Amino acid sequence: MIKISDKTVAWHEGMTISDLLNEIADCHPYAVVRINETYVSRPNFDKTTIPDDAQVFLIPMIAGG
Amino acid sequence: MPDYELKLVKTLEYKRPEVNKGYVDQTLYVNVSDPAIAIKPVDQKTKEVFIGGKGYDLWLLWHAVEPTTQWNDPQNTVCIASGPMGGTPLYPGSGKSIVTTLSPLTGAAIDSNVGGYFGPYLKFSGFDAMEIQGKASEDTVIFVDGIQQQVQIFSASGLPENSYELSTQLTEHFAAGKPRSISVVSAGPGAKNTLIGCLNFTWYDVKRKRARYKQAGRGGIGTVFADKGLKALVVRWDSVTADTNNPADKAALKDVAKLYSREIVELDPKQNEMARIGTTHLVTIMNDHDLLPTHNFRYGSHPQAPNLGQQAYRHLFDPGFDGCWMGCTVACSHGIKDFVPLTGPFKGRKVFVDGPEYETIAGCGSNLGIFDPGTVVEMNFYCDAYGLDTISVGTATAFAMECFEMGLINETHTGGMDLSFGNRMSALELIHQMAAGEGFGRIVGRGVRNMKEIFAREFAADPAVMADIGMEAKGLEFSEYMTKESLAQQGGYGLALKGPQHDEAWLIFLDMVHNFMPSFEQKAEALHWFPMFRTWFSLCGLCKLPWNDVVPEDNKDTQEPAKVMKHVQWYTDYFSAVTGRSATPGDLVKMSEAVYNFQRIFNLKMGFGRREHDNLPYRAVGPVTATEYESRAERYDTQLQKNCGVDTAGKTTAEKLSLLRQYREAQYEKLKDAVYQRRGWTKDGIPTLEKVKSLGIDFPEVLELLKAHGVR
Repeated sequence: MIKISDKTVAWHEGMTISDLLNEIADCHPYAVVRINETYVSRPNFDKTTIPDDAQVFLIPMIAGG
Repeated sequence: MPDYELKLVKTLEYKRPEVNKGYVDQTLYVNVSDPAIAIKPVDQKTKEVFIGGKGYDLWLLWHAVEPTTQWNDPQNTVCIASGPMGGTPLYPGSGKSIVTTLSPLTGAAIDSNVGGYFGPYLKFSGFDAMEIQGKASEDTVIFVDGIQQQVQIFSASGLPENSYELSTQLTEHFAAGKPRSISVVSAGPGAKNTLIGCLNFTWYDVKRKRARYKQAGRGGIGTVFADKGLKALVVRWDSVTADTNNPADKAALKDVAKLYSREIVELDPKQNEMARIGTTHLVTIMNDHDLLPTHNFRYGSHPQAPNLGQQAYRHLFDPGFDGCWMGCTVACSHGIKDFVPLTGPFKGRKVFVDGPEYETIAGCGSNLGIFDPGTVVEMNFYCDAYGLDTISVGTATAFAMECFEMGLINETHTGGMDLSFGNRMSALELIHQMAAGEGFGRIVGRGVRNMKEIFAREFAADPAVMADIGMEAKGLEFSEYMTKESLAQQGGYGLALKGPQHDEAWLIFLDMVHNFMPSFEQKAEALHWFPMFRTWFSLCGLCKLPWNDVVPEDNKDTQEPAKVMKHVQWYTDYFSAVTGRSATPGDLVKMSEAVYNFQRIFNLKMGFGRREHDNLPYRAVGPVTATEYESRAERYDTQLQKNCGVDTAGKTTAEKLSLLRQYREAQYEKLKDAVYQRRGWTKDGIPTLEKVKSLGIDFPEVLELLKAHGVR
């Protein structure tokens, strides 16, 4: 299982961040997602797999400066 | 017996007014030439129009200087103010000081927003702002003692040169057993011997039992401070509670502050983790989006950049509460304990390093082709201790390194130093040279604009190439974001009043990554609203980080997520609760607009502030070299084909570079037009008569100045 905010989502082998966002049907244009302590940016969503039991944080917007 | 001496030169006893709704309605004037100390009242009109903080600073500075005043004239003034909300311990990010002076880099007013306790303690001691004018013949310490109600000027001898030890020593000297009651402002030898000096503002870390500091970094404020013969400013104040700032409606303040604090405690661990890793999370994110400057802003990413990312600093930072003001739950001012420098006067000694933050990592790391966190930490330590701005040091060194690699300068000019990108020992050596005012570091410490002139004049380097790759505008070095692919952020830097610093507008993600503002009108609207709202933080003594670096979970579903309107409403409520002035979110923007336009006109007074002064080096707009173009050829070819109707087949890189340059430079000029129109300025970038009247800044001297520039 993957924990994302207050929800849990079923994990499957090879699940990428893009897969996860499709499964939870969240169409917000996230630029960054955090998996445990690792920040992953949108260009890498398709190629970054999520480990089982991960805690995932959807970073709403990067404000900078 | 201490091995230093502080000799009392002058004392002013005063009666401290009670704080009333965030204000004490008087300012402190010190002239270190005479020396003289005086107290000036703040009139109602000033309070209404300029609000506080940067607004008060600019108004005081405007009256202190003439159009002909140079940065190192005695007339130039260092102004420091917090603001009406500054010193509130309940509401996150409410302890800022704002410093202004005429910059040695730009010749115009520069401002810097800094943490530490000084501004709030100054206000509680009886002064909304402080201005320091003149030049002392001896090293001088000014002590504002809010408890004893006296201001004292000391001549000093035997104190440490570096800010790291000086801050500690003066904290101990004046603390009377309560070090948390002290805040010290100081520079260092780097500030004295370069034009890119910063100021360190201390806060006392009770857990670690040491004075720590934050930096008013930009524009050489520390250089002006050192040039005045100022060794340090010290303020002493007693304990701080919710009542100290005497808000108009304490219950309302508590309500909104509780909402904000709780939200940050709940959401920061789920979002950017600033309470744990500061702003270091940005390094890899910027790198992934081709926005992290590497090798003097040539490129936006590098395979080794993750070495400098948050995972390194997560382990290096000493865990603990790191708020630069009391009660701030963002608490992002992290540091590294027991760091042992490899070079310089602290070589082999354990020191505490305050930082680094993102800007320092990018400036002193990736932009120099250095991907070793230890070197970045050491550069951070010495820049602070010497009183040098890490951003200008990084950007100026990057320029020198590119000139070296391009053969525009060589080892004959650098004193035998190999300045290739990635040479960390040379980068460190340059900092030590800057501090000593010796060797090639003495030239780099004069900043990019001066380096361009020196390299052309003395080393026969090509001025046209340096104009393209020297990353300064208005004389100020760029802060550390790539702008090539974001026209809006080109405006964010190029149209910023003080020069290319991201605190006015940081639009890269909204523009480039999210594509929220495809049209010129939308970009212009963003380049109106964001600079105005961001300016407002510096009027009130606030930090901007809590506004949009921790956002409500439902923010993404709001109409304008980039503005984080829920927080804007909270700030509005906060302002009213402290000052008793009823306000709407639109009023906050209006407050800023008055000060912002006044600052633009101040630039005009000093000989700048027109369209031509908003120009950018081409490196900020597009690829300068064939190598840059070819590294992202698909991106640039596509743009030429789609936006310019160019058939790129068969064209040389040089031809395509030229065509792309024509297109992008024209786009930037169109952006200027759109922004000037939105801001109510002429096509030459000057506020119109109608605009200044509507903002209540139609002072006689302002109207006279506009008239002299053809605005009637």
